[in-house]
Amino acid sequence: MSPLAFAARRVSAAIVIVLILVAAMFTLQHLSRTDPAHAYLGAGASTTAVAAERVKLGLNQPVVTQFFHYVANLAQGNLGVSYRTRNPVATDIGEYLPATVELAFYALVMALAAGTLLGVASAGKWRGARVLKFVMVSGASAPLFLLALLGILVFYGHLGILPATGRTSSVNPPTGPTGFLTIDAVLAGRFGVLLNALRHLVMPALSLAIGPAVSIGRVLRGSLMTVLREDYVRTARAKGLRERRVLLSHALRNSVGPALSMTGLQFGLLLAGDVVVEQVFAWPGIGYYAAQSIPVGDFPAIGGVTLVLGVGYVAINALVDIFQRIADPRIKL
Amino acid sequence: MTGMQGSIGLADGPGPVGQVGPVASVEDLRVTFRRGGRNVHALRGVTLHIAPGEIVGLVGESGSGKSVLGLSLLGLHPKASTKIEGTVMVCGQELTSGSAEEWRLVRRRYLGAVFQDPMTSLNPTMRIGRQVAEVAGNTDEAVRLLNAVGIADASARLSSFPHELSGGLRQRVMLAMAIAGTPRLVIADEPTTALDVTVQAQILRLLRRLRDDLGMAMLFVTHDLGVASQVADRIAVLYGGRLMEVGESADILERAVHPYSNGLLRSRLTLLSGRDRPVVSLAGEPPDPTNPPEGCPFCARCAFVEDLCRQSIPEPVEIRRHHQVACARAGSLTEITDEALAPWPQRADPTGLAVLVHAVTKTFSVGRGRRRRPLHSLRGVDLEIAPGEVVALVGESGSGKSTLLRAIAGLLRVDSGSVEFGVPGDPQMVFQDAGASLTPWLAVGALIAERFGSSGLSRAERGQRVEHALASVGLPPEVRSAKPRQLSGGQRQRVALARAIAVVPPLLLCDEPTSALDVSLAATILNLIGQLRRELSMAVLFVTHDLAVARIVADRVAVMYLGRIVEIGPVDSVVGDPKHPYTAALLASVPDPGVELKAVMGEPASPLDIPIGCGFASRCASADELCHRSDPQLDALSESSDGPIRSIRRVACFHPVRSDEALGGGGG
Amino acid sequence: MVPNDSLVASAESRFRRFDADSSVTRPVWIMSLQKNRRAWCAGGLLMLLTGIALVGPLLAPHNPLLPAGGPFMSPGHGGFLLGSDSIGRDELSRVLFGVRTSWFSALGVIASGVVVGATIGLVAGASGGRIDEVLMRLTDAFLALPGPVLAIAVVAALGPSLTHTLVAVSVVWWPFYARIVRGEVRALAARPHLEAARLAGATRLALMARHLLPGAVPAIVVTASLDVGNLILTLSGLSFLGLGAPAPAPELGAMAARNLPYLLQSWWVSVMPALAIFILAFASNTAGDLLRDSFRDT
Repeated sequence: MSPLAFAARRVSAAIVIVLILVAAMFTLQHLSRTDPAHAYLGAGASTTAVAAERVKLGLNQPVVTQFFHYVANLAQGNLGVSYRTRNPVATDIGEYLPATVELAFYALVMALAAGTLLGVASAGKWRGARVLKFVMVSGASAPLFLLALLGILVFYGHLGILPATGRTSSVNPPTGPTGFLTIDAVLAGRFGVLLNALRHLVMPALSLAIGPAVSIGRVLRGSLMTVLREDYVRTARAKGLRERRVLLSHALRNSVGPALSMTGLQFGLLLAGDVVVEQVFAWPGIGYYAAQSIPVGDFPAIGGVTLVLGVGYVAINALVDIFQRIADPRIKL
Repeated sequence: MTGMQGSIGLADGPGPVGQVGPVASVEDLRVTFRRGGRNVHALRGVTLHIAPGEIVGLVGESGSGKSVLGLSLLGLHPKASTKIEGTVMVCGQELTSGSAEEWRLVRRRYLGAVFQDPMTSLNPTMRIGRQVAEVAGNTDEAVRLLNAVGIADASARLSSFPHELSGGLRQRVMLAMAIAGTPRLVIADEPTTALDVTVQAQILRLLRRLRDDLGMAMLFVTHDLGVASQVADRIAVLYGGRLMEVGESADILERAVHPYSNGLLRSRLTLLSGRDRPVVSLAGEPPDPTNPPEGCPFCARCAFVEDLCRQSIPEPVEIRRHHQVACARAGSLTEITDEALAPWPQRADPTGLAVLVHAVTKTFSVGRGRRRRPLHSLRGVDLEIAPGEVVALVGESGSGKSTLLRAIAGLLRVDSGSVEFGVPGDPQMVFQDAGASLTPWLAVGALIAERFGSSGLSRAERGQRVEHALASVGLPPEVRSAKPRQLSGGQRQRVALARAIAVVPPLLLCDEPTSALDVSLAATILNLIGQLRRELSMAVLFVTHDLAVARIVADRVAVMYLGRIVEIGPVDSVVGDPKHPYTAALLASVPDPGVELKAVMGEPASPLDIPIGCGFASRCASADELCHRSDPQLDALSESSDGPIRSIRRVACFHPVRSDEALGGGGG
Repeated sequence: MVPNDSLVASAESRFRRFDADSSVTRPVWIMSLQKNRRAWCAGGLLMLLTGIALVGPLLAPHNPLLPAGGPFMSPGHGGFLLGSDSIGRDELSRVLFGVRTSWFSALGVIASGVVVGATIGLVAGASGGRIDEVLMRLTDAFLALPGPVLAIAVVAALGPSLTHTLVAVSVVWWPFYARIVRGEVRALAARPHLEAARLAGATRLALMARHLLPGAVPAIVVTASLDVGNLILTLSGLSFLGLGAPAPAPELGAMAARNLPYLLQSWWVSVMPALAIFILAFASNTAGDLLRDSFRDT
């Protein structure tokens, strides 16, 4: 199978998964304890008003019809209306999404960098490897909010060197064109804002990154140690290649596969953790939006966020698979 | 290299280059690993010199330390867990305590290496062009090297990945990398063991030719004396981490003095071994490398052992020019004669029918989606076996021999045709990897008792029958409570046999049961099968890739190629007078000492891509237009068609080899 | 095939070699357990944690739901070993109860994951063919969804409660085990020992129960023990978001979240429960690592 055909197959599989996700969200919406008609009209609404609202929302129609409406609405970018903010969920998410994407991006980059370092460093036989192993088990065992709380206590409360909440403390941060504050600041040439934004990013991104970094590191360590025992590594050494070359072009390349898969899987955890972290740091992203919606049972908002995060997760994993296929020609779907 | 008392080796060796210092040498080399809290004494004082341009065959069984010696010359032992004492010299450099960088430069400039399994030894995600160029320097040189090792369209192959090549081509790629930069010494560790016999013959010839062209020396590590005899100028026999005997190849093969090398030679099966009696076998097993004996490593298995042997390790002594032996009794042991083994009892010719295989076909489907392709594993096979008769099924990879076995066992459903048994009961099977064929977490007793099923036997009766089965394969009753992994390889294969015959099956299927075993152990298992089938009057179908083994165990032999039987008949007449060019090619590829190899060209055709005519035509020297156009059927040869049914020779060939073309007449 | 000259292999096989006149009659598992201090340590650690989770609440000095003194007492003051919270409840007592909930919730989800996942994996792996394909497509579809995120949505839809959280997490957790068990079973089924057992006359049931399942047990045990820590963290995250048991219940995640506003004044009210989670997860991860290493050695 050519890489292109592989990509096509992988993408169509991803589309099927997204459809399953949509069906799951529709089912959950139905299971939801809150009646949308009640929610929109408020507690004091009359029975007739509620009945009229149900007709307006199409809730009196057969489930199948409702499902098609749901899908049709989704296709037009309509995710329903939030019970809490009374705004279309799509509008709300559109507003909050860039902050989340920016945070997730930095967290992922940190996780990849730290994970690779941890993996390579702990695979070697040196004195620090044992210490590293302890650090890694600790990292894998720490709840995200413990890291966040300790971070706030130390760097904000005690040392006062990092801000504890929000994306920026700039009074009039640039609002466009990309929505990513760090990029917009650079585009606007306002490096003070950039620095400020980065300082706001450090703690949330770091607490988000540590768990995935450790997982990636552990998997990379395992596969690297397996690969280093492979015959072809011995062949590479027998050729008289430099050890760095043996490591980089023979060993590492063949051991990134499992680590890459792990990165894809960890991205799911990272997204779930994102909701927690945004809550702790009052980060104005969709996680914060969802966390605010949970206590009031605002399912359209939560469902919308879940769909967006789910699509992001499925897309990232499809990309990971395609990338792996390019790296290793033996992989079959 | 005089001076050192009792050193084995040749400073003034007979290698083609003559009176120069050795290209590599080890002196009193001791290598010890730390594994699982124990010390593994892999090499215990080995002295060996390799002269420029000579090929030294290093022969030993598993655990002898032969690969360790190869790795020592490459400096590839893991530093942390290995203790190396003695001296290692390569190209005049003392490297015993050489730094990683010194070793790397020596490997880069002077050494090349070829390992056993070319599939795992090549980087699976790197195109072969890059892998060769990495050591050759540039792509043009890579192409030149690939051409030099006989890869025809080298520049087209550059962009292939290893998994896209056949086994023989992969090993040629390995060789191309090994000879890049014209090394002074190539370490070849079992380079042909993973290959088919006909391909092995090609690679062995290629190795010799490369040596002649490039003048490099080679350490050829192998478990097979026959293979060593085909390439080596000198042979060194390693056992229990010590060299037993070193000498010129012909001298070792004809006049081996040490009881071990002598035993190894005699238990090695050739096309001339006597088949009317059990094979000579070495009793016992090699010493434990974590707890080596104080005296001669071989003393526990030696027929000539005396007290002196148990007390101190004998140092090598030169008994004649270029021939050293490490044996306390070397002086008195110049001639060893075979202790006469009683011949097998005579039996009546087998009659009746144990199994009848008729027109069996089996096609697998490989690949997925649009790449799904049929793999024609069996293309119409007929075979009948009488009770008490042994038929050997011989073929290379892809011939379908294992598929046929599994089809007869009922482990897979055939597409068409039939398998009928003439005797009640289910066939049993003995696998190549005995360890893997025994459920690891169940005790031997439970495994054997499974054969009795719900036959209403009492506990005691079951126990008795288990012990009886164990006894009949020569194992003590205590083995009953052992788990498979506590047993040695030979013991496991005995347990597998005991399980198979605990209830005597109408047909015993053997799938290369001895090919994973060392020569001396293989001989005992073959003898055991020979004994059991005679005692129990079992029919046996014995799959092997080795015609010498087939000749020893079987009454008749069937040669398979590409899902067909291409020749079948009594074993003596097929081996002595092959009619199918493929049979002749197989025979010519058997690396027997003193017989010149004749390699047939090409590699076994792929069952994914069945040609229209005769499957062998593309490799056959006598193929003509007819062979490529139509497919010959398995027909009785006219001269033998009037004998009893089991003596009939059948061959599927338009141009059978004429008898006067003699042994090895096929191929080019 | 080939006599492999790997010295390691031969040394090991020789080490285990059956010796006719030594004491082979001793059962193998005793020998392997004696050899295997790591497995004992791991088992002991897991038992210890379960013991703490069981007995801990009995040792709690105060009722976890009622004030027992002044609010925001720092650790060691006012008779509160770990301090008191915003309405004067004993932090230690609440943590001890929270540990019980966390630990047994995690074990419960693991148990359901192992039972459902192992059954599906075993059936799929042992049957092969179409059954395998259908079951694994289903499993893969579940695995392709972001489980923890989905769990948030499920609980949000059903309404926050511990039961709903456990149900939601269990629903997204089993596919992992199904994959692992199926993989193990397929690998075992490809070994000749299964064919040999079939030829020896083992029934279908015996093949599965005697010749397949025991081989998958080590993988299941190791995976499950390494997974306890993950689950404790995931459940605590959901609890942190307010998806667990409602307000007064002493849940570790919720305790950390609800006292967030007082973090800078009274750090212990939030940090103590989070630390408790960390200790639980660290201990179970260590046990899992030990178990994995011990199985790798044998």
